[in-house]
Amino acid sequence: MLTRLLYLSAIWFALSLLVTLAVGSRLRRGDFTLSMIWLAAIIFIGDIFALFTFGKFLEIFGLSWLAFAFGLFWIIRLHNWNAAGQVTWTMTLLTTGLFIIYTFMLTAFSPLNPISFIFALIFFFLEVITLLLALAHMHESLDVICRLQWQRLLYILDPVPDYEPMVSLHVPAYNEPVEIVERTLDSLARLNYPNYEVLVMDNNTPLEETWRPLEEMCRRLGPRFHCLHLDKWPGYKSGALNFAVTQTDPRAEIIGIIDADYEVDPDFLKELAPAFANSQVAFVQTPQDYSYTKKGIFSESTYRGYKYFFEVSMPSRNERNAIIFAGTMGLIRKSVLEEIGGWDEWCITEDAEASLRILKRGYQSLYIHRSFGSGLMPFDFEGLKKQRFRWCFGGIQLLKKHWEALMPWAHWVDPANKLTLAQRYYYLVGGLGWFSDVFNLLFALFLVLGAIFSVFSSPIQIRPLTNTILIIPAVFLLLHILRFLWVLRNRLKISLGMAIATMYNFFSLGWAVTLACIQGLIQQEGVFLRTPKSKTASRVWHAIHVTQWETTIGLICMLAGLLAFTTNPDGRTFSLCALLFWQGSLYVAAPVFSLLSLGGEAAITPRITDQGKPVLEQRAARWVVVISMLLIAAFSLLKILPSPAELPEYARFLPIDISIQQLLNQSESQSTDLPTATITVTSANCRSKPRGGAEKVTVFYNGQQLEILGKNADLNNPWWYVKIPDSSENCWLWGMTATTTGNLEEIPIIE
Amino acid sequence: MPEKLPVEVSQLLEDAEQSIQQDKREIAYQSSLKATSLAPHEPLAWYLRSQSAPSSEEQLICLSRAYSLDPDFQDAKKELRAAVQGLLKQEPFLAYVYETEVLYQVRSNLGFLINIPKNRVFEKPYLQKDPGPLQPAYGWLYLSLLALMLGGVGALVLAPITAFQALRLQSLSLSRSDQVRVWILLIISVITWLAAIPISLLLLIRIFT
Repeated sequence: MLTRLLYLSAIWFALSLLVTLAVGSRLRRGDFTLSMIWLAAIIFIGDIFALFTFGKFLEIFGLSWLAFAFGLFWIIRLHNWNAAGQVTWTMTLLTTGLFIIYTFMLTAFSPLNPISFIFALIFFFLEVITLLLALAHMHESLDVICRLQWQRLLYILDPVPDYEPMVSLHVPAYNEPVEIVERTLDSLARLNYPNYEVLVMDNNTPLEETWRPLEEMCRRLGPRFHCLHLDKWPGYKSGALNFAVTQTDPRAEIIGIIDADYEVDPDFLKELAPAFANSQVAFVQTPQDYSYTKKGIFSESTYRGYKYFFEVSMPSRNERNAIIFAGTMGLIRKSVLEEIGGWDEWCITEDAEASLRILKRGYQSLYIHRSFGSGLMPFDFEGLKKQRFRWCFGGIQLLKKHWEALMPWAHWVDPANKLTLAQRYYYLVGGLGWFSDVFNLLFALFLVLGAIFSVFSSPIQIRPLTNTILIIPAVFLLLHILRFLWVLRNRLKISLGMAIATMYNFFSLGWAVTLACIQGLIQQEGVFLRTPKSKTASRVWHAIHVTQWETTIGLICMLAGLLAFTTNPDGRTFSLCALLFWQGSLYVAAPVFSLLSLGGEAAITPRITDQGKPVLEQRAARWVVVISMLLIAAFSLLKILPSPAELPEYARFLPIDISIQQLLNQSESQSTDLPTATITVTSANCRSKPRGGAEKVTVFYNGQQLEILGKNADLNNPWWYVKIPDSSENCWLWGMTATTTGNLEEIPIIE
Repeated sequence: MPEKLPVEVSQLLEDAEQSIQQDKREIAYQSSLKATSLAPHEPLAWYLRSQSAPSSEEQLICLSRAYSLDPDFQDAKKELRAAVQGLLKQEPFLAYVYETEVLYQVRSNLGFLINIPKNRVFEKPYLQKDPGPLQPAYGWLYLSLLALMLGGVGALVLAPITAFQALRLQSLSLSRSDQVRVWILLIISVITWLAAIPISLLLLIRIFT
């Protein structure tokens, strides 16, 4: 029953999502009746399909009512979304929930040896976390595209008469190329606002000839501009910014952070300062935009990748007053910054960390969805990789420091914590989201090991590879990829090709993010990634060299998949091969982008802040190597332990699998196909009678196909009476160990 | 209670203040100079000396000293900021020496040691925070959650240890927040233990059949 319900729900999910991808962004009307009709329509279409194929009337009827009631709940709750979004969200939740139950049942009741069971359990927990993170992404996507009304999103603020508070703009600089800072300061000198000062805080730049010109620049630009060189200063950028607060004009009410490579629009302060007329507003953030000097797929996809956060995540978070302060191109109230104790000098993403402490105090934040300036992007893949490592590392630090404040019981522990449920959710998901790439690598590792053991004709038995376990995750994966491309296309207004490039640009950084997650958990203080140095002067070789780990992992995945399929070509190894090629492509994208980033030299190359002590990529990667070795050792151990010799009693609770023929067209299979059983477990005992303890006649192995001659009467615990190949004898095969095809209705019941 | 100043120092401070008001800077300087040597821990003495100091460098040093002796001395704080700004206009270089909860001590390019007010609430750095009495109980909880994922049997043992630790902590005098944490630890450990029963059963069945 569970399997059939899962398939029915998956049909609703696929149907509703595909329609949302087609028309979800165009449906601008919201109506309760329309939503109800759409919900009923999706359920009805799915039901009709199920009724004519695999479904059973009572089960379909029951689940349909449950889905309808669940859908009504979400329609009422998400009244700001259109019908397509509401129904898709309902069906995503329902299918995810049913799939989790299905995988738990499969894990719990499969006949496995103890080590296999432990692996299956770990795999189950990983699966659950990944599915929950996928749910969070789905919610965010639907929230920004299917939303009918924005409550807090602003493109422009109304001016407040006679309100022009003094603003102190802090420009942190470390070893910056002079021409880059000059352009930034010139743009600040042109600001169309009467009441501001600019503090250029150069920290720890080793050479005097690098920072002295900044002093000259400030003198040239007039009395608003002040320059300060801080020597041997602790706390990196945050340390310098904290000291800048002490040097800020006492009349200043607002502080703005401008990175040294940003050109700012003249109306930046004039447009944003009115937000602070509301004393509850503590900080305002605008999108960080970029100008890129090099054209090409790398630059453009990187640019789009940056935009994603400000086009998708920030608007969604802003609706719940849960945005992050992203530093540059943001303004913060000085008194609030002093109240929270300044910037955290431990956390390397001090801006985001400060915003959490501010929101904890119950202040308001505001996101203005209009770009007021542009900075420079990393000009090559190495720079991008280091930057992503830093962001992720900071995200994990934030989670380490504040996890308790994000828990459901946070209010009881600290009554002063005024974070709302939505704020806690967004900050928690924002931090945990980084771990997706760690899980992705672990899945790739599991798949590679599965392929290797398959090549040696001893497939790993973690849990039965049922049709359902092959089909449903593939459907999930495909639909979530389509959803991601849909969001990219809709929000960033880009072609499908560029959306695919942007998606791969994201995934190509998965390795750097994985390393950052691990380092973030084990390192006490901030570190930065040091990529391997190549010994030759060749830029092409260097580009490949800095992505050697990604290339190796990607190629291993692809080779393992190819080997598994060519050695033992069947449906199962084909699925494994396809999955490994997909996983491999995510890692192989890294050297591809690294090579693409070589297209010509950038006019000006921005610097990526190396904050903290260096961590060599080779060293950071040791953890992954150790985990891989441990997994291989455990998998080998798993092979030593035998699978259960008898069919255990608990196995009767396993969900019954459905064949692909049944799933697609029951009537067709009834008329044409011979009933056949295909073994899905490593080995299955065939017995003299249809019960677990009966005498063993023979053993069948994974992939073997057997003709079904009869069946037992118990529909909930099916046994198939099969013909032993190359023999005149028959025996009883337990239904849970095989999938079936053909017409099973007409085969006789044998008592 | 602030230490009572010797009569001689009080007299000198009064003289210095009056002389400043009468714009007799030399006399004021001499009086405050003597006061700072007799009572080097008196912020007012340093402040008055800064008001009549013959050079901007000495003024800065005296203000810096006055502020470090009394971080709540608002006049000293205000004038110190102006003096630092003046110095930085000439030479925008400051090297870090050390910091406290309320001030930075920095060295200028000319070698002056200057104390600069922080003007913000002190927040204890993350790494310096006391792990607290609940740390061992948290450790046991993390272990029991890990054990739950690894088949549950370990959690059957570790979750009760967590609960025992939490119960033991209840007898201590804890802050309100810690008391709530103890209850949460207790509840999670009970939930973990309950979840571990069926999971470990599923594992044990596989071991013993």
